[in-house]
Formats: sequence, C-alpha cells, structure tokens
Amino acid sequence: MAFFRYRKVIVGISILIVSIASVSAESVVADTLASAEEGWWGWGFLGRFHPIIVHFPVSLLLIAAIMEVLTFRKFQSSLRTGINWLVFIGAGGAIVSAFLGWLLASSGSYGGDTFAVHQWIGIATAALGVLVAVFLWMAIRQKRTSFVKAYQALLLLATVGVSVAGHYGGALTHGQDYLLSGTPWASGDGELLAGIEGPSTPVEWQTFASLDSLDGEQEMNLNLAVRTVLAHKCFQCHSSDKMEGELRLDDKELVFKGGESGPVIVPGDVQNSELVRRITLPPGHKEAMPGKGKPLSDNEIGLIKLWIEKGAPWPDQAKGIFRVAPLAPRQPQLPSAVAGLENPLDLWINEYFKKNELPWPTVVEDRVFLRRVYFDLIGLPPGPQQLADFQADTNPDKRKLIVEELLARDRDYATHWTTFWNDLLRNDYTGPGYITNGRFNISDWLYRSLVNNKPYDQFVRELVAPTEASKGFIKGIEWRGAVNSSQTTAMQAAQNVSQALLGVNLKCASCHDSFVSDWKLDDAYAFANIFSEKPLEINRCDIPTGKMADTRILWPELGAISAKGTIQQKSEELANALTQPKNGRLYRTLVNRIWAQLMGRGIVSPTDEMDKAPWSQDLLDWMAVYFVEQGYDIKKILHLITTSKTYQLPSISVEDPATINTDKFVFTGMLKRKLTAEQFADAVSMVVHPIYSVGALKYNPQGDSIAFTNANSFVRAALVQNDPFLTALGRPSRENIISVRDNQGTLLQAMELTNGALLNETLIAGAQEWVAGHENPKLLTEAIFKQSFGRAPTEDERRIANEILNNGMDTNTVQDLLWAVILLPEFQFIE
Amino acid sequence: MKHYYNRRDFLKTASAGTLAALAAGAPLSGFLSSCSGKQAGADAVILLWMAGGMAHTDTFDPKAYTPFEKGLDSNRVLSTFKSVPTALDGIHFSEGLESIGALMDKGTLIRSYVAADLGHILHSRHQYHWHTCYEPPQTVAAPHIGAWIAQELGPKNPVIPAFIDIGQRMTVGEAEELKAFHTAGFLGSEYGPFMIPDPSSGLDAVKPPAGMSFSRFERRNQLYNDLLSQNAVGDLGSDYQKESFKRSMEQAYMLLKSPEAKAFDLHDEPKESYDIYNTGRFGLGCLMARRLIEQGARFISVTTEYEPFKGWDTHEGGHTRVGEMKKLIDAPVAQLIKDLDRSGHLDRTLIIIASEFSRDMVMEGRPGAEVKHQVNQPDVINDIKNYGMHRHFTDGCSMLMFGGGIKKGFVYGKTADERPCKTIEKPIRIEQVHQSIYHALGIDPQKHEVIEGRPFYTTPDGVHKPELEFFS
Repeated sequence: MAFFRYRKVIVGISILIVSIASVSAESVVADTLASAEEGWWGWGFLGRFHPIIVHFPVSLLLIAAIMEVLTFRKFQSSLRTGINWLVFIGAGGAIVSAFLGWLLASSGSYGGDTFAVHQWIGIATAALGVLVAVFLWMAIRQKRTSFVKAYQALLLLATVGVSVAGHYGGALTHGQDYLLSGTPWASGDGELLAGIEGPSTPVEWQTFASLDSLDGEQEMNLNLAVRTVLAHKCFQCHSSDKMEGELRLDDKELVFKGGESGPVIVPGDVQNSELVRRITLPPGHKEAMPGKGKPLSDNEIGLIKLWIEKGAPWPDQAKGIFRVAPLAPRQPQLPSAVAGLENPLDLWINEYFKKNELPWPTVVEDRVFLRRVYFDLIGLPPGPQQLADFQADTNPDKRKLIVEELLARDRDYATHWTTFWNDLLRNDYTGPGYITNGRFNISDWLYRSLVNNKPYDQFVRELVAPTEASKGFIKGIEWRGAVNSSQTTAMQAAQNVSQALLGVNLKCASCHDSFVSDWKLDDAYAFANIFSEKPLEINRCDIPTGKMADTRILWPELGAISAKGTIQQKSEELANALTQPKNGRLYRTLVNRIWAQLMGRGIVSPTDEMDKAPWSQDLLDWMAVYFVEQGYDIKKILHLITTSKTYQLPSISVEDPATINTDKFVFTGMLKRKLTAEQFADAVSMVVHPIYSVGALKYNPQGDSIAFTNANSFVRAALVQNDPFLTALGRPSRENIISVRDNQGTLLQAMELTNGALLNETLIAGAQEWVAGHENPKLLTEAIFKQSFGRAPTEDERRIANEILNNGMDTNTVQDLLWAVILLPEFQFIE
Repeated sequence: MKHYYNRRDFLKTASAGTLAALAAGAPLSGFLSSCSGKQAGADAVILLWMAGGMAHTDTFDPKAYTPFEKGLDSNRVLSTFKSVPTALDGIHFSEGLESIGALMDKGTLIRSYVAADLGHILHSRHQYHWHTCYEPPQTVAAPHIGAWIAQELGPKNPVIPAFIDIGQRMTVGEAEELKAFHTAGFLGSEYGPFMIPDPSSGLDAVKPPAGMSFSRFERRNQLYNDLLSQNAVGDLGSDYQKESFKRSMEQAYMLLKSPEAKAFDLHDEPKESYDIYNTGRFGLGCLMARRLIEQGARFISVTTEYEPFKGWDTHEGGHTRVGEMKKLIDAPVAQLIKDLDRSGHLDRTLIIIASEFSRDMVMEGRPGAEVKHQVNQPDVINDIKNYGMHRHFTDGCSMLMFGGGIKKGFVYGKTADERPCKTIEKPIRIEQVHQSIYHALGIDPQKHEVIEGRPFYTTPDGVHKPELEFFS
C-alpha cells in the first residue's frame, strides 16, 4: 500500500504539521481567553482554530506544487502518491479553514479592506482546492493529458490563492506593514511625523514599572514617551487637523476630554480606559486602533497602560515632543590642523569622515571643477578659452583664484543669484496680484543688493522693515476680494519671514495649533500682529475666537515688540531683534541655504525646517558664527565653500529622492544637480544662439533708458518673464516660497525640448551661424564639443558626427547635432 | 472603514510575495479590485468649461421670459430667451440649447450649484476655486483637479498626456491669475496640463518641430541615442534625475511618433463630422476631446476660453452674446455626447459642463452676501445693450453631467422662480462636486499629499463626501 511505501514522506509531513500546530496553538489559546463573544461560545471557540488549520492548505498545497513543478515532465513520477496525499489533505484543509474562518469572522467584528480581500480570496481558494482535487482525481483515473494540464494549472493558481490569502491573513494579525517592516523598503512611521524626536533615549515601560513612585523628572519623561507614541500612531486621525470621532490626542485638555463616545482615559484605571481597550483589540477588529497603519508594539502599549496606571501625569511644563533646534549661536572649537586641509570647513568634514569611517575621495579634474564654480557662482558655463587657460595654469592656487575672479564679476553674480532669491522671496516680474495693485516687486532692490553684496543683516533689516523699494516681500500678495484669515497680508508676512529667513513653518499654526511642531495658533498670530495696522483677533480655522492676539516674536528671548507701536515701529524692532548676532537661527538658516544651493542638500534638510537635526551640528554652528564674524558677507561663505576640498569631491548619484531628506543621510560629497531652467537657457544662449531678445527683458539692471548689454551680450533668463519653456524646465510660479525646485524630468519638459518652438527657433538660427563660421565638418564637430563640454570629441563621437555630416554641413544636420549635444546629460547636469 | 482601494495603497501594502503571486495569476488582480470596495464607473473625464460666468436663467434653468422693449424695468427681467422643452418631461432649457436638451435622458442636470463667497468678484479667483477647490491665495501652490487625477491615476494610454487643457490662451488679460491654477502646484510639473490653446493647430504640439520631416525627426533621435550611448558622463548610472530625464525624452519621442498623436490632428476627421463640431475653437476643442478620449486620454478640459469681458463674461449686450455662446456650444457638446455614446466610451467617461458662477441682471453676489457692483445696470432698459445678465450671481448655477456612471434623465436641485433666482433645494458646493468626480473615478475621498510636513487633501481637510444621488 502506498502508505507504507511513502511512510517517510508522510512521517515528515506529520512532523511539519505538528510543529506548525504547536507554534500556533499558543497564540490561539491566548486569544481565546481574551474575550467571549455572543452566541453559543463553541462556534466562536471553533473559529479560533482558523489560524492553526490554515497552515495545512498553505503548506501542503505549496509543497505539492513544488513537487509537481520538479516532476513537471512526468506525471507518473516517483513522487506521485506523495503529491496526491498532499493535494487531497491540502484541499480538505482549505475547506475546513474557510469554514472555520467564516465562524471566526461571524463571531468577531472584522471589517475593512484587508479583511474583505482575505475573506474572498480565502473562499475562492477553498473552492479552487476542491477543483484541483477533482481534476487530480480524474487525471489519476483517466490519465488524459488535458486533465493533467488542467490540474497542474489549477494547482498553481491555488498556491497563488493560498499565498495571497495567507499574506492578507497575516496582515490582519500582525498589521499591514508587518512583512516589509524589517526591510529597507519599509514605509516610515507616518509621513507626517518626520520631525518628532521624542525622548532622547528609547524608553522601556519596565524601567518605569519598577519604580514605586515617579518624581517630577520621571513623570515628565513618561509623559513625553507616551505623547511620542500618540504622535506616531494616532495623530494622523486624532489631532487638530482631523478629529475623527471628535477625538484629539495632541492637546492635554482634549486628551482627557475624550471623543464623541466620552472620555478615553480614566487616570489610574487601566481597565476602564477606552483607549487601552481599543489599542489592545486584535488588529482587524473593526474597533481596533490604530484603524490604519501599524498596531502599537508591546512596549508602546505597556507605556500607555503604565502612564494611565500612574494617574496619567501631564505636567504643565511638559516638554515638546518635537525637536527644537537651539536658538543661540555656538562656536565649536575648530579641530586641530591637518596637513593638506587649509580650509577650516574641511577640518570639520575631516572630523565627520573620521566619525563615519569614510575616506577622502580624490578631488575632481579641472574641467569638472571649473564648470561647477562657473555655474554655481555666476550661472554660466566657462568658454573653451577660459577652460584651456585654466587647465594650462600651473599655479597651485588656481582654483582659489578663479573663485575670487568669478565672485568679483558682480553683475554676473547678481544676475545668477537673483533667481535663487526670487524663488525664496517670491518675487517675480509678473504673477497674480499685480492686476489689482495688490503686489509689488522688489527686483531692483534685490539686484542692487546683490551687486553691492549688501551685508546680510542689513539685507534682512530692509526686507523686514522695508523701504519703498523692498516693501513687496512684507506686503505679500493681495487679490481682489475676501481671503481666509490665515492668508491676510499680515499672516502672509509672518509665514514668509519665518519660512524664508528663519526656516520655520508657521503655515499650520496660522490656522490651528500645529501638530507637526510645537508652534501654536497664538504664536503665529502674535508674530503676525507685528505686521498688522490693527490688532488681530485670533481666528481658529477661519472662525473668530473672540481672543485678541499678543504681539511678540516667535522667540521672546530675542526681545519685546511694542504692542501699541505703529507698523513701522514694530517692524523696525523686529528687524533689529532678528538680526542681532545672538539670533543664531537667522544665520544658520542662511548658511544652510547657501550650502544646499552648492551641494544639492543642506546640512539640515529640508532647508525650510531648521528644527530638524543637521548631519553635522558643529559644521552648521561654526559656519553660522564664521558668517557673522566675516561681517554677514554672503560672498565670504560662497568663497569658504567653493575653495574647500569638500566642494571638489566627486558628485554623488542619488537613486531614490525620498532618501535625501531622511535623517539617515550621510554626506559624502555634493549631489549631482540638474541645471536650473535659467542656467540651461543661458548655456544654450552661449553655445548655440541667444534664446531671448532684448525685448524679453522684464527688468533691465541698467535702467530702461539704457540699451542692455552685458559681458556676454545676451539676455539672461533670470531677467525675463516666466514662459512655457522656462516653466517646463522648472522655473516655478512665485506666489509661494520655493526653496527646492522640481528637478526630475517630465514629459512636458521633454516635449518642450523636443518640439517647442522657442528652442527650435534658437537652434535654427544657431545652426546657420555655426555653418557659416566653420570651414569643414571636422572643425565644426570639434568646435561644438569644445564649446559645449570643454573637451574634444571622443573617437566614437567623432565617428557618429562624421556619419551624419558626411554629405556636408547642411544647416538641418548641424541643427540636429546641436540639439542632440545640448540634451546630453553632460550638458544638462553639474557633475 | 475605507471603501476605496487605490493603486498606490495596493502597491504599498502588497508584499513581494503577493506581487509575485499576482504576476503568476494575472486575472486575480481584476478579482481583487472587484471584491474590495468601490468599483469605479469612470476612467476618464471631460470638463467643458463655460468660462466667464454662464447665466443659469438664460441657459439651463430658464425662468419667465420678458422680451426686449424700450422702457423695460430691469427688475422684471428673469430670462431674455424663450424656454424650449427637453427630452425630460417638464424640464425646459433656454432657446438655443435644443440639441443638448434632446439628450437630457442621458445625463444629470444640476440646478443648485452655489459658488463660494469670495468678496468683490474677480473671475480668476472663482475659477481658481472651482478648479482647485481651494480659495486663493493659498500658502502652497494648490493643484488643478486634472493634476490630482493625473497624479492618482496616471495616463490611461502611456503616450497620451494625462492632463490636457484645450482652448485657453495664456496671453489674455488676467493670464497670470489663470496660470495660478492651470498647474499641478506642489504635485510637481509632471502632472501639469498639456496646453493646447488652439485645437485647430493642436497637432503642432505633438509633431516634430516646424519644418522637420518625420524621417529627419527619426534620424535626429537616432543621433541623440548614439551620442548618449557613447557619452561617458552620459552614463546614467542610478541617478534619479538623469534616469527621469532620459525616460521623459523617450516618452516624448514615443508620443511624437505614435499613431495616437493623430488624435490631435483634426484634419483627419471626416468632413461631415468636422463641420458639425466646427462652431469655433470651442467646438473643435470638443472634437479633439472626443478623438483623444477614443485614444485613451485621462482628463481633458475644453474651455470656451476666459478673456475679460468676452465669451460668457457679459458685462453688456448679454442677450446677444449669450445667443452666440449657445450657438457655439449646443451642437458640439451634443455631438460629443452622442459620438461617445455610440462608440461605447460614454459609460466610462464623465462629462461635466460647468461655470464659475451664474449671472443676474440685478444682483451681484448672492442674497445676504451682496458685493460691490461692477456693472452699471439702469433701472429702465432703453438700449438692447443693457438687456442681458450682466452682474455676477453666485447663488444658483447650472451644471450638467453625463456618462461615467451618472444617472440618466435626472434633475438635482432647484432655484426660485422669482428674483433672486437662488438655490432653494439641495444646494451643492464645489467640495462635493469634486468629491463626486473623484467618486466616479474611484479615488479615495481622503486622498492627500504631505506638503511641507502637513497633509493637503483633494478637498479642504478631506472631510467632504460625494453626492451619491448623482450616480445610478
């Protein structure tokens, strides 16, 4: 009999089944004791065997399928009888588990997408199991190939079914993210909560449980630990922005008040605290919390239980759960000198590399370096002659000297950096608001400030307490009509000053207390009041509260503002308070922005969120102090960075942009950067033909009466109105502060580059000039590559160009060659 | 409980194992989506935009007709056209909309859209609000509804841009304000509108540049790829920016050489059909929309075009102008519905006809929230140029929906028959309109993006619900 012949196989399988069962039984018994359900208890009890029994069809059918695949070519293999047993028991198990699962579902309260998918696939798989068994039976009896094929196909499908059903079943039990949570692809703890720091060291509930009573400090820490859990696991649905079930867990008073079904926390009484009941229900239960995302870990549940048991302490002076960066400047002791590293910045990076066990890579070649500094400091590529001269130069200080030479080109520098500041100060030549005289541009003030390298403290003072020429920044944008109270011009000023200059996001807090930072509605209104003629009444989510706002700076330690003063008086007080050296925040924000412009990623990132942790606190702090010592001179910071060895390291590829802003980021060199719309347009204007004519100028630095000329005698894209070409390449509309531009390729961009009229006409005009200016195809090819990349074409490139130019230099072909060259990554990117 | 199941959630929760399983049993994916929650009725949208404020009483919600005569009291005039019957018993349209009226057994008529109170009227602000669902200005750049849809569902046919905007030139007055919502905003320009200002030259947008033959275009692309493969620095490595740049270049090339690009070429349309549509740029826009839907477009907006004081923006001579506007829209809109119905696309395509607000002869704003008048309307009309709906009225606007699971022959809401002809039954606001569109497409009502650390929902705070009464 088959049983005896294959007893080893069967014994093996039995052992497998027993071991699976014993592992599962433990959890089932525990679950069973947890609660009693309605109806005859026996059904519910039987249902609880579902999680054990499901292992039979899952494993047996999978093994059967594996064995079937191994013997795919021969139905009557030596494994036949074993497979048959596996399939029949597996199919039977599928039916039984579907039945038990149904019992379990009707006795418990399961719901939701995951459950529905699990249930229906489970039932379908059970049905499929029966079909597999039937076809197998027929295949054994009649030995017809069609039955065999059908059986095999169905078996594979059934294994897919059990795997999918099993996966969703697992998701019900362990939470949706269980499977991936241990992998690098795991999603973070909620997309909103990157800024939450919580306790500085992990808090184990046992450490508190072992204490008889908590002192003030311990209460504070337990409270902080619990609130961190609430923030991570509950705020997405239960905070000021979205009060599901009328419950908010982000505010002391409201946590104890509870939701629509009453209080959720009874201090001192764990058993009767609804919150505890909800977070301890089995995941998949329709009342279980969190309703989405990962369930709470045992430690997290332990912390909450213990906190309630201890009377749910919430000291009034409880610390915030979000990281708050220090305000005061700090001057760390510069590391001792290292041979070969003259630039102090490199000493910090050296420390950082040592700490992270990173080697110093070799610096880039002259050609790469020169293209970098040109684009970074003046926004233009070097010409072939400039490159040749630079390469030929034997002065060991030549890299430093070229930086100084470029920084001295005031007008080119100002034109290039105008783009960065326009984005940040939301200044543009055209845009919504101008039509109803509700907006003012500051282009002339900005350009002059940059040309003269105005010290940054003065720059900020003139923005915050403006002159007629710089008032546009504070005045904001006013369209005709009524606006939401979080968008009054005073509130816009508060938001823009804090975001652009201080790296603080007040936008949440200008409508309601923020739940991604500790800023409160009151703080935002008090700050906005500085920019308001009449005292502001606080509105919460656009509804008046009857409470009048204070008048104060976000950090009162920077100084008081006269509540009764005129706007002029208040803004002058603010300007002076913000720019004093002891406001480290202002200068950290600035040096971090400059660093991010040159390196592709800030020391703190995003650059608008300066409370986030920097990858090197020392470097950030030291640079901010250096900046103040150097007289608030932006060019000095640019000089510091671009003359460092760090700036000369090879650029880094980023595979997944989502990793850039994480706190796991490790600095190893600048990121590869795509040319901005303006850099690309200017580079094309230099290499091919000017894209814009003088008529396109929206701001003429030389005054409208004077004919426009500049060193390169073409109109630079920074000074023209935004158009579809620049928009497609990433120039933003500037109604809102933009500190990072879109830098990925898009279809619209590619279409603009491939068939857009503006670029096409430029290429046509350029091709004619190139043809006219060169004797033969060979010289032309050499020149195009020299001009575009600062190098001669390679053998292969020469060959390719030669192939298309072999019939002579007709303008169409030259146009196409120019097109292809300017679209190569070597042209588009800063390496 | 969540009723929607979207692509992203699915990919997020699906484990590697599930994905492999799905790959092995491809039919299972259909099964999966059919057993879990919402089955979308529509997979494409055409928004027919009546730019400038279409008076409901002179179009889809006529009231008592008072013919023009000298000495007419402005207050007496509710409609300046006769009413005509539609396919629905007891439901009338204003004269000139007979073709659309004849199709009302195929769609839903909404007579109770209430626009927001945004104070002193500026068209572009109301249009911004209609298209983004947010009142301007906003602290971040709010995306157009087409961009949200493009981002969530992606292109239906990979070579056809997911969000196409036909008919709006950005060179008119208030263009800067129009640009502020013709954008994907913080979603990123990838989801922004593919603009075709003039449908009669629409093909230019998707063919090789002017003066370039197709074979030369192919050669040029070959040259680019040859150089790309030889370019040492062109080694794309793993850098996301370079990869996305290269991918987008390939995508553009695919679109430009694809047979589907022919959909943009209206000269390809048989003459009889072309002539029915050709009432002007808007009519041709409808034709292009139909051709694009047939090729797998996702979201298309066709506008009568906003230009201050033109089109539906009738500050004077309203009666005459509205007569012209109805000629512009009636035949092509009806033909679009009929054509899509005949080809079977209507079932999966939601067509919406809407405007930012309505107009009235006397009232500016709405009862209880009247705002500063912008038109000097005499109490007694002696000149035909004063005969028309010239003021901006926000409390009762008509909207039409067809296809994509929308009820057939259904009328929703009601306005008063006497001035002010305001909504008196079932007021519906933009949030619910947007949610209904998302519902038709199977998009989660709580879809949001996290921007600058905070959630930004498709409709403010993600608390709004679709109007399920619209759906059959």
